[in-house]
This record gives sequence, C-alpha cells and structure tokens, in this order.
Amino acid sequence: MSDAKHKMIKITVARYRPQQDDKPWDQRFDVPYSNDSTVLEALNYIKDNLDPSLSFRWSCRMAICGSCGYMVDGVPKLGCKTFLRDYTDKGTVRIAALDNFPIERDLISDIGDFVDKLETIKPYIIRENEKPPSEGEYLQTPAQLDKFKQFSQCINCGLCYAACPQFGRNPEFLGPAALALAFRYNQDSRDQGSAERMEFLNAEEGVWSCTFVGYCSEVCPKSVDPAAAINQGKLASNIDYGLNLVGLAQQPSKTGDQS
Amino acid sequence: MSSDSSNANPVNRKPYVQKQSANWWLQNRYYRFYMLREATSVPIFGYALLLIWGLLRLSQGEAAFTDWLALMQHPLMMLFHLLVIAAALLHAYTWFDLTPKILVIRLGDFRVPDRWVKLGHYGGFVVTSAALLCLALLFIKGGA
Repeated sequence: MSDAKHKMIKITVARYRPQQDDKPWDQRFDVPYSNDSTVLEALNYIKDNLDPSLSFRWSCRMAICGSCGYMVDGVPKLGCKTFLRDYTDKGTVRIAALDNFPIERDLISDIGDFVDKLETIKPYIIRENEKPPSEGEYLQTPAQLDKFKQFSQCINCGLCYAACPQFGRNPEFLGPAALALAFRYNQDSRDQGSAERMEFLNAEEGVWSCTFVGYCSEVCPKSVDPAAAINQGKLASNIDYGLNLVGLAQQPSKTGDQS
Repeated sequence: MSSDSSNANPVNRKPYVQKQSANWWLQNRYYRFYMLREATSVPIFGYALLLIWGLLRLSQGEAAFTDWLALMQHPLMMLFHLLVIAAALLHAYTWFDLTPKILVIRLGDFRVPDRWVKLGHYGGFVVTSAALLCLALLFIKGGA
C-alpha cells in the first residue's frame, strides 16, 4: 500500500474510547489506496502505520464472517466488500460504528443483544419425534430447499439492524436477521417447530413492528432479503391468528423444546 | 459474544448508546422515499373525509349537495384532487413494487417470477380502472 504510485484518500474515522470520551469524535487520516483497496485494508493501514489504538473487528476479508460491518458514509457496509475507489469522487470517506447498536469502542459494536435475539427464535430444526441417525437423514427435494435457501445465507453481520429505523426506535424489536432466521426454519420441510416460533413472530416486537421500510434488504451483503421474510411472516402470523380464533392453530409441543 | 458477557458489565466497560435522531429519515434517499410513501396516506385520508362530507351534504338535500359539488370545482379543490390522485398512484406503484416479496406463488417446482406478479397487479389495476370509468360514464350519460 505504500507504493509511490498509489493515490491518497482522506478517511475520517469516528473514534470512541470509553475511558477517555463521552461521545464519538472524528479523526482524520490520509491513506494511500489502489484500485482494489477496501475500507478494511485502509483501517488496517491506519492501525499499522498511523494510530495503533484504533479498534475494529474483522476476520475473513471475504464477506463470509460478518465481522467488519461499519457505517461507510452513512450506509451500513462490510468493510471487506467496500472499495475505496467508489469514494474517490469526493476524495474523502467517513467510517463509523454501525448505527443503532451500542458502541463498545471505536468501530466495535456491542452485538450481544442481537445474538440473544437470534437465539430467542430457536434457530434449529425442531422435531416432534427425533428419529435415530441409523434411520438416515431427512430428505428434501430441490423445491423444498428453494423455499428457505435464500434466508439461510445470513452471516449475522448486523447491517440490517443498522439499516432498520424501527430497530433504531425500539431496540426491543426482534429485527430483520432474527425474523428472517425464524422464517427460514418455519419454511424448512424438516422442521416441525413453527408453532413454538409463532409466539415470537406474533408479538408486538415480532413481525408487526416492521413497517416494510425495506432498507434491510437493500444493504444486505448476502441478498437474504429479510424484508421479504418478515412480511411473508406477517401473512403466516395472520393465518395463525385466524386459525387460533377457530381453535385450529397448531399448539407448541413440549418435545421439541431444547431451551 | 455470548449473552453472559454482554450482560456482565465490568467497570471498564462504558458502551456509548446511540440515539435515533429526529431527522433520521432525511439522512438518505431510501428513507426519504419511504417517508414519502407513508405520507401518501395523508392526502388520501383528506379525500376520504371530503367524500364523507359529500355524503352528508347529499343526505341534507339537493341544494346542499349542489353547493358541495360547486365547491369541488373550485381551483384549489381541483388542485387538491390532483394531489390526491398523484399520492394514490405513487402509493399503488410502491405497493405493487413490494407485492412480489410477499406473494410467492409456487406451482409445483415452478416459482412464478416476480415480474409476472407485478404485471398481474398492473393488469388488474388497468382493467378495474377502465371498468369503473365506463361505469361512471354510463351513469353520467344515463343522468343527462
């Protein structure tokens, strides 16, 4: 990156050091970049060469671990998947911690609550009667797989939560990724636990807190389309409500409860 | 991060809680369009009130209703009607745009493409609009 032919870009990083600061503040750096430099590489350059105290999360560098979500010029993005060349017109780019999450330090968000929400919706296959492995796997047709595959591509990066104004307004909202994950398991032909998940989907903090802003799907780096999952979840919730009225709704079974 | 570590708050932790600003919706194009979409309900609500008022005037006799009709022809009212139809059309556009995300039709292994779902809605929209227009024209002719 220190190659002489590299051009320079001004990068503003929102810093927050819990011991010294009361609120985030902007720090500016001049960083060399080439055509294939990513935001994540720029952050690593800053940490290695300009200010070793800068803290940020990252791991795989290839948009699969979901660790390097930041606000890049106000838009939730993965640092490893965002190229500096797309910000050269302005000659400057601002990187901050993801919106809506508490900031632990600098660019590191506290995602504990988000992870709890993912666990809340029982993101595993629930069977009424588990068959022994000796009887073989649960088979699935390509059409059955197609019903949920898209929603299983989530990498838990949290960009959709940073994009969701309803989550920003009410942190109790289960939010895009958790609801998409619930929908993913409810759509799985091998799963029999949807009655247990409906309780969370039907709640005020479930699908009904969503007003279909749709920005979650727009920023999703894996094209999961959580907005589609949540709003199809509203349909399921309505059907469940109707069935409940006439006493036909499936009741949660105790057997599948692993929590 | 496990739920245990997030609940524990050792003294050296001081997470900064971000508050949503009142003008969050002005911050990007996507939010602004969303708010515009939601705001289309305001003129449509106004139009509904106007129609209810018209019904009330109708119940009060011919003179009252004629007064109401005359008021509807005021340039400001015409302008309001234009605003309402623009809002209704924008709302319909955004609605049709989102429908394929919810209305997933599977025929065996075949998933009906999003474009067909959208086109079907536009088709229905054109047909019902034309039918309503014909009906209205028939009434006008019949009344004359």
